[in-house]
Amino acid sequence: MTDLPVADFLSALLGSGLLLAVPLLLAALGEAFAERAGLLNLGIEGMMLGGAFAGFAVALETGRIAAGVAAGAALGVALGSGFGLLTIWLRVDQVLTGLAITILGSGLTGFLYRDLYGGQNRPLPTTAARLDLPVLTDVPVVGRALFGQPLLVYLAWAAVPIAALVLGRTRFGLAVRAVGEAPFAADAAGIGVAQTRFAAILIGGAAAGLGGAFLAVVDVRTFTDNMTLGQGFLALALTMLGRWRPWRILAGALLFGMLRSLETGLPILGMDVRPEFVGMLPYLGLLAALVVLARRAAMPAALGVPYERGRR
Amino acid sequence: MSRLGSLPRLFVLIGLILGGAASPVAIRAQDATPGATPTVVNPVEKVALVTPESRTNQGWDQQAADGIEAVAKRRGIEAIVEENAGYEIEPLLADLADQDVQLVICHASGYQTVCPEFAAEEGIPVAVVENPNAVAEDLVSDIETEAQEIAYLAGVLAGRLTRSGTVGVVVSDEPPTWNYMTVGFAEGLKATKPDAQLVYSVIGVAAYGDAAGGKRVTDQVLAAGADVVFGMGDGSTFGMIEAIRAHNAENPDDKALFIDVIGDKSQTVEDDLLLTSVLFDFTVIYEEMIRDLETDEFGKVYTLSVENKGVRLLDLPQSVPAEVVEAVARAEAGILDGSIAVSAVPDADGVRATLDELFPG
Repeated sequence: MTDLPVADFLSALLGSGLLLAVPLLLAALGEAFAERAGLLNLGIEGMMLGGAFAGFAVALETGRIAAGVAAGAALGVALGSGFGLLTIWLRVDQVLTGLAITILGSGLTGFLYRDLYGGQNRPLPTTAARLDLPVLTDVPVVGRALFGQPLLVYLAWAAVPIAALVLGRTRFGLAVRAVGEAPFAADAAGIGVAQTRFAAILIGGAAAGLGGAFLAVVDVRTFTDNMTLGQGFLALALTMLGRWRPWRILAGALLFGMLRSLETGLPILGMDVRPEFVGMLPYLGLLAALVVLARRAAMPAALGVPYERGRR
Repeated sequence: MSRLGSLPRLFVLIGLILGGAASPVAIRAQDATPGATPTVVNPVEKVALVTPESRTNQGWDQQAADGIEAVAKRRGIEAIVEENAGYEIEPLLADLADQDVQLVICHASGYQTVCPEFAAEEGIPVAVVENPNAVAEDLVSDIETEAQEIAYLAGVLAGRLTRSGTVGVVVSDEPPTWNYMTVGFAEGLKATKPDAQLVYSVIGVAAYGDAAGGKRVTDQVLAAGADVVFGMGDGSTFGMIEAIRAHNAENPDDKALFIDVIGDKSQTVEDDLLLTSVLFDFTVIYEEMIRDLETDEFGKVYTLSVENKGVRLLDLPQSVPAEVVEAVARAEAGILDGSIAVSAVPDADGVRATLDELFPG
C-alpha cells in the first residue's frame, strides 16, 4: 500500500481492537464472580451463544437495541440459574453441566435460528447508540476509537471498577470469596454458601449473556450459527490470566483484542507475514501472559468442589 | 453389397447389442451416440453431503445443500445433508456407511484426506473438493471450482466503479476456490484500471463462519481507502456486509459497494450495497456425478465452469451505468472467444506472487 490513509486506518485498528475486547471482558468478569465463589462454569460459551441469539431475536422483533441487550442478559441469568440449580443443590458435576450447557447453547440456537428465520440472514433494523463527544471524537487516530464507540462499550469498561469494588470491598464480595476459599468456615460464620454461590453464578450468567448480546446486537448486528467461536473458552482463560481480578482481566481482554486487530492490520500496513503466523499472535500473547502472570496464581481453594453441609 | 456379405455384419451387430446389455461397462458416456441414454447399471437411491459449516450461511455450504436436495428431488432419490460437521468427520462417515448411502459428497477442502481413506476402506464412492490427485476409478471423484473467469468480470466491474482507486479483497481463508477467484478478480481489476490499488486481507485460518472477524477486517479495508470490496467468506460475509452497511450509513455521499460469492443475497441486502455475486450452481455437477455413478463412469474430475453454467455473475442492479454493463459484456465475450485468458492460481503463495506482480508496492 502506497497511499494508505494512516490516521483513519490506525483509528480503525484501535477501534476494532477495543470492540473485540468487550465480549471477552464481560464474560470473564462474570466468570470471575463464579470462580471466586467456587463454581467452574464451562457453560460460558453456551451462555454467550444463548445471549447472542436471544438478544438478536428480541432486538429484531422489537426494533430496540436495549431490549435485545436486556434479553441477552436475561437468558444468561436463566442458563446461570440452571447451572446453579444443578451444581449447587443437586451436586451434579460442574464440568459436565457446563459442557452440556455449551452444547445445548450451540444446538438450540442453531435450531431456533432455522426454525424462526428459515436460515435467512437478517440484519437488525437499528444500530446501537454511540457516544459522540464533540472535540474529543475529532482527535486524530484515538478520538473516534476511544470516544465514538457504542454506549455498551463504556458500560463494559465501567463494570470493571464496579466489579473490583464489589468483590474487594463489600460484604457480598467477602462472602463470595469466602465460599470459594473455605465454604465450611463461611457456613460456620453464618454465610449462606448455596445462596452466595447461586448469586455469583447468576452474575456470571448475566455477564456472559450480555457479552453474547453485545456481539450479535451491537457489533455484528445479526446472528450467525456458532458466532461466538470459542470466545467463552477464551474468557475462561482470561479469568485465570487475570487471577480473578477485574483490572487484570481488563488488561488481558484489551491485549487480546488489540492483538486480534493487529492480526489483520499488519498485512494491510505492508508487513509481509503469513496469516497462519499472525493468526497465532493473540493466542501466543495470551499463552505468554498466562505463563508469566498466572503461574503464581492461587486458584480459589474450593473451585469446582461441591459443598454439602456436614460432609468434608 | 451382397446379401451374403451383410449377414456376418448383422451377427456382429446383434452380438454387440446382446453383449452390451450383459456387460456392466458396456456403454461409456463419452463413447455413446449423442442423444443416447447410457445404461443404468447401479441405480442410485441414497446420497449424502457433508458440509463443515452451517447451511444457513447463504454461501458455500448452503449452495451445496440446496443443490443436492434439488437434484435428489428431481431424481426422486434420498439426500442426507450432514451440515455443520466441522473437520473431524470420521464418526459421521461411519454413520453414513451404516445408512447404506451410495455416494458421499465431502464438501470441504479440509476433507481431502479423510474421505478418500473412507472410500478405500468402505468401498463407498466419495466426491472431494479441489483434490484431483485423489481421483480413483469408481471410488473417488473430484470437484473443481474454477470461477476465476467470472471473478475477472467482477474485477472489471470493480475497476469501472471504484472512485477512490482502492479496491479490497477480503477472504476467510486461502483455499483454492477463493484463490482462483482472487487472482481472476485482480487481473480483471488491473486490466480495467491499471493504476488501481488492491488491499488483500485474510480474516484468519478457516475463519469461514467468523462474522465478527469479517466485520473487523472489512472495517480496516474500508479505512485503508477501499470503496469496493470483493468478499469471499461464507458466514463471515455477513460481518463484511455489516461493516459496509455501517460505513455507508456514516458516509452517505461516499458509499462502498460489495461483491459477494457463491450465493444470492439480493433478497436480503440493499441494492446500493450489493453490486453482484459470483454465483455457484452445484446442481450441474451433482446431476452429472450421480448419472455417472449409475453408469459406472464415476471417478473423474467435475468442474464448475462458465461452459456448464456452474458459475455466473448475478444480474447487475439497475443503478450500474450502461457503459459499465457493456464493458463487462465485452470482457465476457473476450473470455468466451479466447482473447482474454485468465490465470488459474490455486495456491496461496501463487496468489501473493501474482498480486505482488500486478500491484507492486
